Amino acid sequence: MSGPTRVPSGEETIEFTFDGTSYHARQGDTLAAALLANGIGLVGRSFKYHRPRGIMTAGIEEPNALVTVGTGGRAEPNTRATDVFVYPGMVAKSQNRWPSLSFDVASIFGLAAPALGAGFYYKTFFGPAKHWLRYEGFIRRAAGLGNAPTEPDPDNFSQSAGFCDVLVVGAGPAGLKAALDAAEAGKRVWLVEQDAVPGGSLLRDPDPAIDPGAMVERIEALGGKVFLRTTASGYWDHNFLTLSQRLVEPGAVPPHGFAQRLWHVRAGRVVLATGLIERPVPFANNDHPGVMLSQAVRSYVRRWGVVPGKRVVIATNNDDAYLTATALVEAGAEVVALLDARASGPAAPAGVTVYHDARPASVSGRKHALRKVTAVIGGSEQSFDADLIAVSGGFVPVSHLHMQAGGKLEWNVEAQAFIPGSNPQVCETVGSALAPPPAPAVAPAGKAKKSFVDFQNDVSLADIDLAWQEGYRSVEHLKRYTTLGMATDQGKTSNMVALSRLAEKQGVTVPEAGLTTFRPPFTPVTMGLLAGAGARNAGAHVRRIPLHALHEAHDPIWQPLGYWFRPRAYPVNGETLQQAALREARTVRTAAGLSDVSTLGKFEVSGPDAAKLLELVCATTVGKLAVGRGRYTFMCREDGFVNDDGTVWRLAENRYLLTSSTGGADRMAHFMSYVRNSLRPELKCSVVNVQEYYGGIALAGPKARGILAALTGAEPPRHMGYAPGMLAGVPVHVLAASYSGERAFEIHVEASHAAAVWQAIEAATRAEGGAPYGLEAMELLRIEKGHVVVGGEVDGRSTPQDLGLGGMLNKAGGFIGAAGLTRPALSDPNRNNLVGLVSLDGPIPEGGMLIQRAGQSPQGHVTAAARRIIEGGAIALALLQGGHHRHGEELIVTSPTRGEKARVRVTSPHFYDPAGERYRD
Amino acid sequence: MILPGNATVTDATSIIALPAAPLHALEIWSNPQDLATRVHKALGFALPPMNRSAGNAAITLLRYEPTVWLVEGDTSVLADTLGDDGALTAIGGGIVRFRIAGPGWRELLLEGGVFDTSPAALPVGATAATVIDHVGVRLFATSEDACIVYVPASYAQSLHHFWEEALPLLGA
Repeated sequence: MSGPTRVPSGEETIEFTFDGTSYHARQGDTLAAALLANGIGLVGRSFKYHRPRGIMTAGIEEPNALVTVGTGGRAEPNTRATDVFVYPGMVAKSQNRWPSLSFDVASIFGLAAPALGAGFYYKTFFGPAKHWLRYEGFIRRAAGLGNAPTEPDPDNFSQSAGFCDVLVVGAGPAGLKAALDAAEAGKRVWLVEQDAVPGGSLLRDPDPAIDPGAMVERIEALGGKVFLRTTASGYWDHNFLTLSQRLVEPGAVPPHGFAQRLWHVRAGRVVLATGLIERPVPFANNDHPGVMLSQAVRSYVRRWGVVPGKRVVIATNNDDAYLTATALVEAGAEVVALLDARASGPAAPAGVTVYHDARPASVSGRKHALRKVTAVIGGSEQSFDADLIAVSGGFVPVSHLHMQAGGKLEWNVEAQAFIPGSNPQVCETVGSALAPPPAPAVAPAGKAKKSFVDFQNDVSLADIDLAWQEGYRSVEHLKRYTTLGMATDQGKTSNMVALSRLAEKQGVTVPEAGLTTFRPPFTPVTMGLLAGAGARNAGAHVRRIPLHALHEAHDPIWQPLGYWFRPRAYPVNGETLQQAALREARTVRTAAGLSDVSTLGKFEVSGPDAAKLLELVCATTVGKLAVGRGRYTFMCREDGFVNDDGTVWRLAENRYLLTSSTGGADRMAHFMSYVRNSLRPELKCSVVNVQEYYGGIALAGPKARGILAALTGAEPPRHMGYAPGMLAGVPVHVLAASYSGERAFEIHVEASHAAAVWQAIEAATRAEGGAPYGLEAMELLRIEKGHVVVGGEVDGRSTPQDLGLGGMLNKAGGFIGAAGLTRPALSDPNRNNLVGLVSLDGPIPEGGMLIQRAGQSPQGHVTAAARRIIEGGAIALALLQGGHHRHGEELIVTSPTRGEKARVRVTSPHFYDPAGERYRD
Repeated sequence: MILPGNATVTDATSIIALPAAPLHALEIWSNPQDLATRVHKALGFALPPMNRSAGNAAITLLRYEPTVWLVEGDTSVLADTLGDDGALTAIGGGIVRFRIAGPGWRELLLEGGVFDTSPAALPVGATAATVIDHVGVRLFATSEDACIVYVPASYAQSLHHFWEEALPLLGA
């Protein structure tokens, strides 16, 4: 018998499945350890050639043993078997194979490997775009490793802030010491470790003088925090780091509902004790199950009691691998040869034959293990019967976070490795990452085509050679041409081997060949963790209007509007949206309707200089408003384009209310703050955002005045007048403003009292044959009236003149945007102007382009389309080149993407009551 | 809808929506020293400095901005002292006050947060304008065991739910 084994101890109490078969594991086993303990060496298939792959490492750098863990929405593809701990009921599956891991049809790609080398896609999939349609389906099916789950993830993901004086990354011997020293110095310490237990290299090479558990207890007793299963995945500016913490293992059901936690940590000082990653050795078939890194073999033996092979060849260029020989011998394995590429080395354990000037050339094997290792020893080939080869090509300091922080790297010739150098942030690296063991460069033996460098992407030495041959000199180009260093492992085991080959080709040193940039995250981070709690609401909390519950009782169709949800329509008797909206709009035109306008932007401006500030903000005059009067207004950006619109009201001698659009409310809040605090801080006034303080209700229609008079017991103000009043026993502001084209009022009331006011108005309105109306009806009403909307006609590219508002500009100037408007280009008669469109045949496609004849470039576009509310017939608003002067012209609206078109006549945008007669009593 | 008294209570930590209270924004634009003296004389305590609070049984002032205070309580005396140097604007209807109490309140407010809530950074009596899960909120550490969080009314229900869900994470 050969291959990996573990002598059962009776502690194998955890049952899990791999590809549907049940196995047992011990507490603390990684999936990789558990699989090896059960004699399983074949774990996955490679990305491109579907070559059989086993377990190469014992840590997060694993490129081969990728599996899917969990089921349903919890399934997590591309999980490293070396970085997941077995739990009862764990379901793990191999990936990228069909129909089974043992017999994978797609492994036939391996036979075509000579034709599928570096740049295959670039050389093959080109030509006319229509050809791509033929390739695309096949490529999409073949691409990727694991499959993303199709069901929603049922778990939550937390995002938390963290603050500490000292953040130590890595709980190996150096990290433990650094954390303990800082804690004993009275610092607020965080120690993070991606493993489930502290110790780092001590778990592989115990030191009786260091007790990780006791050190952790001491750190915590001093107030420090220790986070296990937590990876420092990103290092950003100003010592801001992101940590991803696994609260449960992948696929497991979290007891508190949260699967992972993303920490946003601000640290006074960062200590990186991130250690080393062992470098593989290129030789033919070095990706076969049974080829493992030397330190990984030692970890499996000493930490998990697993012996990955019974007859082992060790291949090295450094002293560290000799420790592996000792561990294997102690575990009862036979080390049949120790191949040392150097001329000399330390003493080997008794019974182990050391060959110097020896390198592995190739291996061959069975399903779960090797059969034979062939080496070149002093220029001659020699073969060994072996089921495992443990390789060590030297070590790579884990300098990813150091580089993310902006740190420099220095080249260590003896170790043939980059080590962390200076760092612009308050950050230092400690421990083995600063002093990797000497490991001289070794020329690979064996065929380059099957000597793999990047195991995840099936990039071989031959691919690097080919890229070089085809002119790719820069390491960045090499990376992109060959896909070297991409995918989930981000080249942790491959970069240095590849760089060495590139440098050799170029005839330069490795530092001269260059190095690609390390970017966050250090290890893969699930998308849910980045989305956090907002994952289910498009990344944000829902904003509820004060009358949300009242509307809910009407079972409306809700409309997301920014972060808000507003009723779009209130269908009754099975109405469609369109039917409901038309009924509601007709009700407003013929009787009365009420609508929730609480989301309007609202600013109270008070003080002796309030009018001065408003005349700066508003492009219309404000200062001459009498108390109790208001007016329509709009605001420009400094470049002269319209930013928002609304109304401004003089509530008292030194107190004004400015309203603005819902969609622009947050932008206006910033704008008002900027004007108040940055442009004119000397003004004697106060600007307060009262958007949420007031609930707003619009009451519109020919019966609105009568309804309001009855409710308030007072004659409502005339159009654009303001009056305070009492309604339903609550003080209200009554603003006589209309967006619908009818006599209308906005009633603003302290939000906590809004429900009582709405209920009173609704009852009175229904008694008069009216009803609530939603956003869709509001849209029909405003289009027919020709009112602009921010985000539609006001699209950030429109001037007041474009929108027909030029006559309202404050002729004295002085407002923000006045200077910008003097630019000649903004007076160009061919600018897009607001116009109305009347259909000469069918419905007008919203968003359609305006052309004179087929094949012509667009001359404008439809911003909003509707139908006449009472009379019927399609109308629209549009922005049209030189539109102010083209009334009466016939055009075509075309929407090629929808296959719709309509003939239209250009008109004034005011389809309904252009003289404003209906505003008057 | 968040109703006053809505409460989520665990053994360690409670989240309670407090009844609506009169809240005003006080902005001072001129003669700050003179006005501060008048306020001190009228209210019996000095205007609090940045990120601090001051008050008595009737009124509490919380300072979050250089020239703006959040005022909770009866403003009648304060209004009379302002003259033409400042203004009060009612904002209470747009804000829901949550009282988060218990030993876990500081940790709970780190959830989705960006602000250090440790006693060193947010001692009793301190205030802070910050963001919790993208929502702008204001904090007022009222005691070692409790904090008042002023939340925009539109986000109150959602943020309450957010905290409720996060409670099991305390100490995790």
